[in-house]
Amino acid sequence: MLEACKRRWVSFRRQPAFTGFCLFLAAVALNIIIQTPSKFFTVSNFRILISKNTPLILTCMGQAVLMMCGLLDLSTGIQLAFVNVIAIMMPQEMGVPVALGWFIALLSGVVVSLFCGFCIVKLRLPSMLTTFSITYIIKGVNVLIMSVPQGKVERVIYRTYDSTLFGFFPFAALVILLVLLVWGYIKRTPFGKHIYAVGNNPRNAYAVGIDPERVQMKAFIIKGFIVGLAGLCLTASNASGNPLQAEEYGIRSLSACMLGGMNFGGWGTISCGLFGAGFLVIVQNAVYYLFNFLTSAIPGLMINPYWQNLVSDTIIFLGLLATIITAKAQRETLKQGFIKQFKRGEKYVR
Amino acid sequence: MSDNREKSMQMHLRHFAKYNRPGMAAVIAVGLLLITVILNPLSLNINTFGSILAQTILLSFAAAGQTMVVISGGVDLSVGAVMSMAAIITTGIMQGRTGYFVPVLLCVAGMGALVGLVNGVCAVKVGLPPIVITLAVSNVVTRLQYVFTGGMPTGLVSEVFKVTVQYRVFGVIPAALMYAVFIWTLAFFLMHGSRFGKQLYLTGNNESAARLNGINTRRIRILTFVLGGVFSGIAGMLGAGYMGMSQCQLFDTYAYNSLVAVIVGGSLFVGGVGSYIGSIAGSLVMIVLSNGLTVLDFSAPVRNIVLGCVMVILLTFYNRAKPIRQ
Repeated sequence: MLEACKRRWVSFRRQPAFTGFCLFLAAVALNIIIQTPSKFFTVSNFRILISKNTPLILTCMGQAVLMMCGLLDLSTGIQLAFVNVIAIMMPQEMGVPVALGWFIALLSGVVVSLFCGFCIVKLRLPSMLTTFSITYIIKGVNVLIMSVPQGKVERVIYRTYDSTLFGFFPFAALVILLVLLVWGYIKRTPFGKHIYAVGNNPRNAYAVGIDPERVQMKAFIIKGFIVGLAGLCLTASNASGNPLQAEEYGIRSLSACMLGGMNFGGWGTISCGLFGAGFLVIVQNAVYYLFNFLTSAIPGLMINPYWQNLVSDTIIFLGLLATIITAKAQRETLKQGFIKQFKRGEKYVR
Repeated sequence: MSDNREKSMQMHLRHFAKYNRPGMAAVIAVGLLLITVILNPLSLNINTFGSILAQTILLSFAAAGQTMVVISGGVDLSVGAVMSMAAIITTGIMQGRTGYFVPVLLCVAGMGALVGLVNGVCAVKVGLPPIVITLAVSNVVTRLQYVFTGGMPTGLVSEVFKVTVQYRVFGVIPAALMYAVFIWTLAFFLMHGSRFGKQLYLTGNNESAARLNGINTRRIRILTFVLGGVFSGIAGMLGAGYMGMSQCQLFDTYAYNSLVAVIVGGSLFVGGVGSYIGSIAGSLVMIVLSNGLTVLDFSAPVRNIVLGCVMVILLTFYNRAKPIRQ
């Protein structure tokens, strides 16, 4: 009995998401302490936390799928705004029925992801700089489609999004669950194994008979679908459109995946993105409540509001450093994967 | 006979385009400038040239540190944040008074060196990828700017300092050129004329081989980040002089712009390849491009699209990886 438990524990420790899970637990513990258990474990608290942050969580999960494949996409954030803009403008300007407009927006998320995929996979451009440039392109296109923040969303949509099912389960969490279920199915197909093979070493994967280009394009399609969902959630959450929002989600999703324990190819699961995003969200929440508590506990204390952002960014920075402690053996593979990210080819693998 | 000459001309041109990146960058810059002038003849005046030269000099300062980091195989995305912080320190200490040049210079260089040290130690000793760590550090530095100034930095640069940066001899040659002489010489010496530079190229090319040859690759890589921070700090100080005042996150675009300038100028992400002349030429391309977009009166979104497309096109020509099947 003890042996089985020990084996379970060791195999759990070896999971890629273990790092992210530890960080996430630490952040949640901190949050519970600061926000007092009575206020933390309420339905409305969970509902607000999850529904406001589902776009970020979904973006991190999409980024995790790409990173498994050995690529990254820094324009993921602005793609959310693109889907948002299309979902608002199609019914508004072209009189398309709302459901069809939102479906087209979902497809447009896939299309813009395919465009990135084409540049990175077919043209073999370096992913970081290319997606940085594509961010500029998408920003310009967004503003051309929608020049000022505007638009409205049907009441029934955003009320549903903010609501809870059975009295305690937030609707937004359903979206996250859906993505996890779909990914759980995909992971068990041969494609799921191919992704890891291609992410680790595309040359060897090709030698074994896997087509790296097809696998990577498929990963982009999956990520595009997730980004489309995230953009629709963002639209429902904000109930309006804004062409220049969520740009920083691209870089934050990269940090979140690293916090979760991901590597730049061949190592990691979608839960890494999930836990990393959870860590980011909970840390910000905890710091917010900490400052509220401080200003209310010590009367007359005026804290510069910028301190809040500084503290949460510093905690994220320390969290990044901490991933090394919890993932000692993965450090070397992490460096190898990163080098492969830039030096596409066996010649430069140390 | 003339056929042979034609063929060798073609070969020479192709060789030039492929292997002489700084020269090619200069050609692209001149080409872009010509296109701008043809499309808007009014833009051909002394002021344009002067401002292009001044901004190129500023960007080339920021690109100095970035070149070294890229040659050693890393990336430094904290250039912008360090520059903005340096600008705030400059106006904060100077407050419009003269005579504070040396203290400001030391402060700014020290701050840059500190940030570079943090970057370097985390990227090299802890083993995190430089992209992520420099981004996280730049976030923290940006937040520190807001905390120190409360969001609204006060103070101006001293008049004397402003004149040394903004004045233009004959209306076109920026007086900032005298700063450039110092910094360019320093950067050239570090990269091409010193033992550190040689070791830098070797480390970037093949770190294991360099280490086995007795080069302390860890120290070299940490030093590149430190020097990158110092150069960014000095660039920020001169940038404050150029703008006359400072704001939070004033120079944040310089992180990406300096990286693109370095890549256009011939350095490769894999490391071991690159030169400072290339980065200067790359800065010229970036500035001519953004100047052209402003002068041709494109709206902001169209400017963004053109900037992004031009980058993607440049990358397609110069930075494609080898295909998997060979």
